[in-house]
Amino acid sequence: MPCCPPIKFLPLCFLFGCVFLTEVVCAALPAEDPQWLALVHYHAGVFSKYRGTVDSEDFYLAKDGRTNPKAELEATVRLFAAKADKEKICRFPARYLFLKNKGLVDKVGVECEEFAQFKKDLLPAGATLLFTDAYMNNPSSLFGHTLLRIDTARKGTQLLAHGVGYGAFTEGDEGSPWYAVKGLVGGYYGGWTIKPYYDVINMYNNIENRDIWELELDFSADELEMLVAHLWEVGHTRTRYYFFTKNCSYMLLEVLDAVRPEVMLAKRFPLQVIPLDTVKAVYRTAGLIKKVHYRPSRQSAILFDIGKMTAEQRRFLPAAAEGKTQTEGLQATERAEVLETAYQYVQYLYVAQKLDLAEYRRRTFALLSARNQLKTPLGAKDEQPSGKLPAAAHESMRVSLGTGSQNGQVFQEFSFRPAYHSLSDDGFGLLSGAEINFLELKFRRYESTQKTVLSKLNLLGISSLSPADKLFSPLSFAVSLQLERYELPDSDSGKYIFNGHIGAGKTLAVTDCLYFYALGGVGGGYGDFLPRNQYAAIELTTGLFADFSRFRLLAEAQKSFSSSGFAAYMRYRAEVGLSLTKDWGLAAEYLFDDNAKRRDNEEFGVSLRYYFSFFR
Amino acid sequence: MEKIWMPVVAAVLAFSVTEAQAVDSTGCGLGSMAWRGVSGPEAQILAVTTNTSTGSQTFGITFGTSGCDPNGRVTGGTQKMVLRFVENNMEQYALDAARGEGETLDTLAGLLNMDKRIFAAKSQQNFALIFPDGNVDAVYITNKIFEVIKA
Repeated sequence: MPCCPPIKFLPLCFLFGCVFLTEVVCAALPAEDPQWLALVHYHAGVFSKYRGTVDSEDFYLAKDGRTNPKAELEATVRLFAAKADKEKICRFPARYLFLKNKGLVDKVGVECEEFAQFKKDLLPAGATLLFTDAYMNNPSSLFGHTLLRIDTARKGTQLLAHGVGYGAFTEGDEGSPWYAVKGLVGGYYGGWTIKPYYDVINMYNNIENRDIWELELDFSADELEMLVAHLWEVGHTRTRYYFFTKNCSYMLLEVLDAVRPEVMLAKRFPLQVIPLDTVKAVYRTAGLIKKVHYRPSRQSAILFDIGKMTAEQRRFLPAAAEGKTQTEGLQATERAEVLETAYQYVQYLYVAQKLDLAEYRRRTFALLSARNQLKTPLGAKDEQPSGKLPAAAHESMRVSLGTGSQNGQVFQEFSFRPAYHSLSDDGFGLLSGAEINFLELKFRRYESTQKTVLSKLNLLGISSLSPADKLFSPLSFAVSLQLERYELPDSDSGKYIFNGHIGAGKTLAVTDCLYFYALGGVGGGYGDFLPRNQYAAIELTTGLFADFSRFRLLAEAQKSFSSSGFAAYMRYRAEVGLSLTKDWGLAAEYLFDDNAKRRDNEEFGVSLRYYFSFFR
Repeated sequence: MEKIWMPVVAAVLAFSVTEAQAVDSTGCGLGSMAWRGVSGPEAQILAVTTNTSTGSQTFGITFGTSGCDPNGRVTGGTQKMVLRFVENNMEQYALDAARGEGETLDTLAGLLNMDKRIFAAKSQQNFALIFPDGNVDAVYITNKIFEVIKA
């Protein structure tokens, strides 16, 4: 059926009152309207001017709808003009709103019961962008996670709101090597899920111990209506999931674009999409965020409460956590605080599978009964944990320019790190003691040879120094995989070694800003100049990490026992970072390898670091 | 009933049963699992059985799973919503009831269309009745809540 009916039908149509629509269709369809493009998720395609992101075929009404916004718009107008296909009409409430706002459709008069029920359950009162902090124990959560919350007008609290998220359906592959590969190349489909906000809280705050940041979006009633309608539309679709690009955070941006096209969020992320970066982009977009609220994880809340306790209260806490509720000498409120914190800690232990069920129930009920007998509500606490806004963290891309010396050879160095954070960078807003360096490239130019060489490609470097104490005993770990250049002694040339290391251990926090750690692990390397081309090693590392916010220091000593003399060494390493402004910093590095079998290696360098992003 | 949304969710579940349980098991209610005496994937199945044998008789509602409402929404009548909420927030509700304040009390008061302070006071005063021991389940608690607020 062609878009424009022959002119002669027009008067006839007038009689039935339907012509207005077709007439407009013929005149000027706003197929290039930013909101239309955003509603069908069109972006510049490789082979076509436009291509829709969504992979579900039934998301497009026209045959060539995926690449042709005009044809799709015409087909959509026809759908609502015909008022016949209820199933399709009810699939696209946001498109209907768009056409209605443009004066392109009349009242359709079709009842969409399921969508009405959806809205009735949600009772939308607002929208919030949620960011859940990084979770170091799961590779797919290292960069945090984002989802949307449709706030509710229900009486009560926002626990009854709904979290809407986009994620990959990984078919139970986590942990297998396929998981990473498939996640990278689009081997999984992504789709939408919805659940009550209390489920979201249970999952992130209470089970995974991740802080949640709630960024309230400043949407008008019309925009909110559009958001809910559009979530309904995309909720029925699926799209190939790419861990670094078309991921959970990216699809949310496309949805926000559909609600308020002028923000153009998705276009700012042509390459990599790090969840925190999308939060920064939203946070910085004028007029998009109304208010920010912090919801600490169970662990954060426990630590905060302990931080405020008196020494006397802290003394009773370990016993209380075992269900012994005597607290002689404490006032009622102090006692209540001990019992409540102990209760939360017992929950934590049970979730961490450190308690069996019977014991868990025994302690839980001992604490609750004791608490119930104190008829003193604590009332609203004067002081709430406030957290450090992740959106205010430094930019995740970093370039640095520096100079240094390796065994007396002066060099200049340039490095680029697309993501994300080193311990020597400013840690504000980021998980304390955690670092993730990804695809870091280092080039050096040695003055003596006047050659520029790739000195290091750090494919992946992850460390998590997570302090253990009487109550919490998380594992600290470090993993790295890199290509490193080894300058051959007494020669102008160098060779490359591909090496990997993995270690685990414990971290102790002396104060909030001074950590000591010890890790044990294994390493291995491959290089064609090595004896038998390879080495394996056992590595013992101990070090300290000091973070005085503007100034950071990392110093460690590592003993490596190796199958090859090449990698048998005692290594001393130090790295300091100093913030100048939010985007600029200074760093200095020192390395000394005391090697029995080859010449010692000593390097030091200073550099200027610049942090940036493409999405501002 | 939910013709459009449900096939999607069903497909999703079919696609990713292991994922839903391994990664996302919490969606089905930490509370209900913990206090029902099992955890892990088996718990879900057991929880379903527990639910349908006691829950449906009590309230005349057919349940999907424990807290894993197939359409993932806060929906239904007051009793159903209260039960769902209790199933999924049992631990926090127990603490809030014991001390007489907290977010879950405010939420339940909202669902029950009651004054927050009155519901908080009733929960606290009747804590031992609502939570007699560690073996209570959500259906029992929900029943007691309705009993207590009528008293």
